[in-house]
Amino acid sequence: MDNVYRPYLMKVLEVRQHTPDVKSMRVAFQDEDVAARFSFRVGQFGIFSAFGYGESTFNICSSSNWRGYLEFCFRKTGRVTEALWDTEVGDTIGFRGPYGNWYPMEAWERKNLIFLGGGIAMPPIRCAIWYALENRQRYGDITIVYGARTVKDLVFADELDEWEKHERVRVIRCVDPGGETPEWKGEIGFVPHVFERANVPADNSVALVIGPPVMIKFTLPVLDRMGLRACDIYTSLENRMKCGIGKCGRCNAGDCYICKEGPVFSLEQLQKLPQDY
Amino acid sequence: MSSDSRAFEPKIIAYVCNWCTYLGADLAGTNRLEYPPNVRIVRLPCTGRIDFNLIVKGFEVGADAVLISGCHPGDCHYTAGNYHARRRWMLFRPLLDVLGFDLRRVHFTWISAAEGKKFQQVITEITEQTRRLGPYPYLKFTKDGGAPNWSPPAARPRAPVHGEAQMRETARDLLASGAVNVVLGYDAAGAPAFAWKPEETARLAWNENARTNLAVYLKRKEIRALGKIGMVTPPETARALNVLERESQVDREQVVEIAVERSAEPPDFSALESFMALPPEERMRFWIHEFERCVRCYACRAVCPMCYCERCIVENNRPQEISPSATIEGNFAWHIARAFHQAGRCVGCGACAHACPAQIPLGLLNAAIAKAALDQFQYRPGSERGQEPLIGRYSLNDKEDFIR
Amino acid sequence: MSISLQSLITMVDSWLGEGKRVLGPKLVKPDFVQYAWLGAGSELQLEGFLRPANSIKEVVFPRHETLYRYRVDGKTVQLLEEDFKPVETLVLGARPCDAAALPILDPLFNWDFRDEFWNLRRKAVTVVTLACQSWDEQCFCTSVGLGPDAARGSDVLLYPLGNGHFAVRLITDKAAALFGSYADEDHPDPSPGPPVKFAPDAVKEFLQANFESSFWQENTLRCLGCGACAYYCPTCHCFDIIDEKSSRVRNWDACQFALFTLHASGHNPRKTQPERQRQRLQHKFRIYPEKFGEILCTGCGNCTRNCPVGLGVLNVLKAVQHG
Repeated sequence: MDNVYRPYLMKVLEVRQHTPDVKSMRVAFQDEDVAARFSFRVGQFGIFSAFGYGESTFNICSSSNWRGYLEFCFRKTGRVTEALWDTEVGDTIGFRGPYGNWYPMEAWERKNLIFLGGGIAMPPIRCAIWYALENRQRYGDITIVYGARTVKDLVFADELDEWEKHERVRVIRCVDPGGETPEWKGEIGFVPHVFERANVPADNSVALVIGPPVMIKFTLPVLDRMGLRACDIYTSLENRMKCGIGKCGRCNAGDCYICKEGPVFSLEQLQKLPQDY
Repeated sequence: MSSDSRAFEPKIIAYVCNWCTYLGADLAGTNRLEYPPNVRIVRLPCTGRIDFNLIVKGFEVGADAVLISGCHPGDCHYTAGNYHARRRWMLFRPLLDVLGFDLRRVHFTWISAAEGKKFQQVITEITEQTRRLGPYPYLKFTKDGGAPNWSPPAARPRAPVHGEAQMRETARDLLASGAVNVVLGYDAAGAPAFAWKPEETARLAWNENARTNLAVYLKRKEIRALGKIGMVTPPETARALNVLERESQVDREQVVEIAVERSAEPPDFSALESFMALPPEERMRFWIHEFERCVRCYACRAVCPMCYCERCIVENNRPQEISPSATIEGNFAWHIARAFHQAGRCVGCGACAHACPAQIPLGLLNAAIAKAALDQFQYRPGSERGQEPLIGRYSLNDKEDFIR
Repeated sequence: MSISLQSLITMVDSWLGEGKRVLGPKLVKPDFVQYAWLGAGSELQLEGFLRPANSIKEVVFPRHETLYRYRVDGKTVQLLEEDFKPVETLVLGARPCDAAALPILDPLFNWDFRDEFWNLRRKAVTVVTLACQSWDEQCFCTSVGLGPDAARGSDVLLYPLGNGHFAVRLITDKAAALFGSYADEDHPDPSPGPPVKFAPDAVKEFLQANFESSFWQENTLRCLGCGACAYYCPTCHCFDIIDEKSSRVRNWDACQFALFTLHASGHNPRKTQPERQRQRLQHKFRIYPEKFGEILCTGCGNCTRNCPVGLGVLNVLKAVQHG
């Protein structure tokens, strides 16, 4: 029987710890046929599981150009993520996916890309950044503004350094006031303010903004003042999920099932959703 | 004699306290006092820490008998843990009993660190006794023969006493004077009804249909946000308010009681007494049949004023102590937890049993504990304001006859 | 030609003898009938009550279902899946409002991803429905496009003739072998059914316009947040997936529970009961119709009858209708 709830078995290839409570994992399909034909698009998510503990939903934070493996990133916060925290290289976990919609990378070609992220929201942006860098000529200027509460809370901080080395890429790192260390060379301030101060040109740009609600709330007006239209601003939503395939009835915001018609939304679409997420 | 090449070897699980019984077991070992290898010892810091649920879990995982053992009264390493445990067991055994557990397979002892010999004796006796009793097919009774033929005797009517007109007038006055923002009462069908304006009190009724305990609404934050409320308060609701007040869940200043009466008051244990006349295996078969209909809708929890936890034990998954699945083990575990969390707190309003859409006689579980509370401690939950809790207190004089 | 109750009872016994499962109304307590698995034909109860207190959805959507098992052996995991072959099942004595739920839910369980647990069970079930001759205050099948002898979802319709006999109307071919010889073109006129109590289109418009509204607090304040309405509803399908005993299992779940939409961060989009009640009404009368062209409700009245505080959807719908 084609069991739509059956996960792929994945071998853990690599575990990276980013902060005291955030890790990311690289996992590969155990079945080589699946590994060869599997594909996804950046922005999609998967339901990862620790056998014996349960399933949890995470964005696939690796580039869709990377063959043979997937990456995801999680904060240790509950039963499943605690079990994933204790998972080591060589262990087996489960994966169902790819689910949901994806960033319109094709529609964004020839545009300038603005990526704004806060805290643990870097992973769902990271996949889009890598994808754009791997297809560098198709995109215009790239601006990345990424901030966290403290220096220790920056996720994928080493990759920020790598991204900066690419042509026409501007990376601005920031931490909340009080979150800096004596050696900190980046900005101090909240992402919306730091972004506004940065005077990023707004012409022919699209923005991907992901972060805690308070960050989004103060960032959207800045983008608006810059002249970006609602159809040019994108985000990735979260809601509590279980099945990921539109059947368990849990993740809808109004009539929109985040797992089927999301998680990627333009601000224009978001404005039509009721406050139900 | 059994012709089986492998004779039955009972599995015993012993939950023991670290400081006394565990060391007593250790002493038996170092003194080479042989005791049967049938026992698996689970060490906990103190008998006071032993969750009643662990007894049930022991049977769930296949134990044929369960032992709980700790320090003698007065010797607890944590001063009073075993006193708390003793009182808890005095109330939990009746619950196991009404559910039809074979109490010959549930043992409680005090064994000190110096009593290696006693440990040897106890384990040997329990093993022999359990071997004679045979394996314990917990929840695996077949359904052959159908459910036991038992129905509760007709309950003593608890009809409301006339007072409807008086209640309406009081409600109207409270709203008209602004003393309360809303009155919570019943409509003619017995459903909870809100009156926001004086004229709306005309639809409030007080009749035999009223079975919800309105004190339950005080656990809802949407209701607490309404400010001062008037509440139609039959005796069970007044008792519930006493318990909630003692547990710091209600500000009595925010609730104006509109007292109404009933013709008779609990306790009425006639149904329980009739049920307990059945032998234990019949009782357990009865509950296996009843709990088959339980779909875990938690109506019983939702209507109970005392079930106010924002995150119920069944919603905890670190660890998942109670299975949320509507299987027979899960349903037994849930109803045991629900009933026992009411020990010394349940006011006998019967809202849980009345709310159950599957008509499972949940009141019997609460009644078993309530009767034990009355018989053993002369305790009626909520009978007065400022009453001491039952579980959470202990007395050096708590008397029982089942702890060796 | 009609079929007698005695013949039906005999049929149940023979189906059970063949190893089939039979779900039918059963007197589980004095004066209390539920759909239950029958152990014998004599347990079948077709008269003397309005409708069973529960629904038939368990035959296609069990309250607890193992999706697959697994064995964890250190670093490796093996998935263990049994050949899923549902036992052939008959429902005898369903009500039209129970039967209609099955085709209403088909599009959801096949929305892009095909849930074969649902589909294979659907194929294995034959539904023999009893047309209704009475209804109570909580019934409203006629308001949602159904009626006392609606045939949706049924394979056979039986019409009580009042003398221990039933007229038989074949709706699909599934039961032709079993009931074909009794089938008759002639069957009693359908009863009128309960009066229409609201207009679904008007409700849909109201729901569209009143997502944020004090209406929800005003009309659903007495809800205590249990799952009785959802679990006894023929069309409610929400579920949870957890790991338990080396298996991944699916259990019924309900949007009325406080933790249904709780995020790991602690944020809950539906923090209050009125918001959760709003979701129920929106889902059933606006969202599902917009997505799948079906009202996610058959007007059976179970929600109101089983609700500990007498709420259910009808009271809210009446409040919508009366402005």
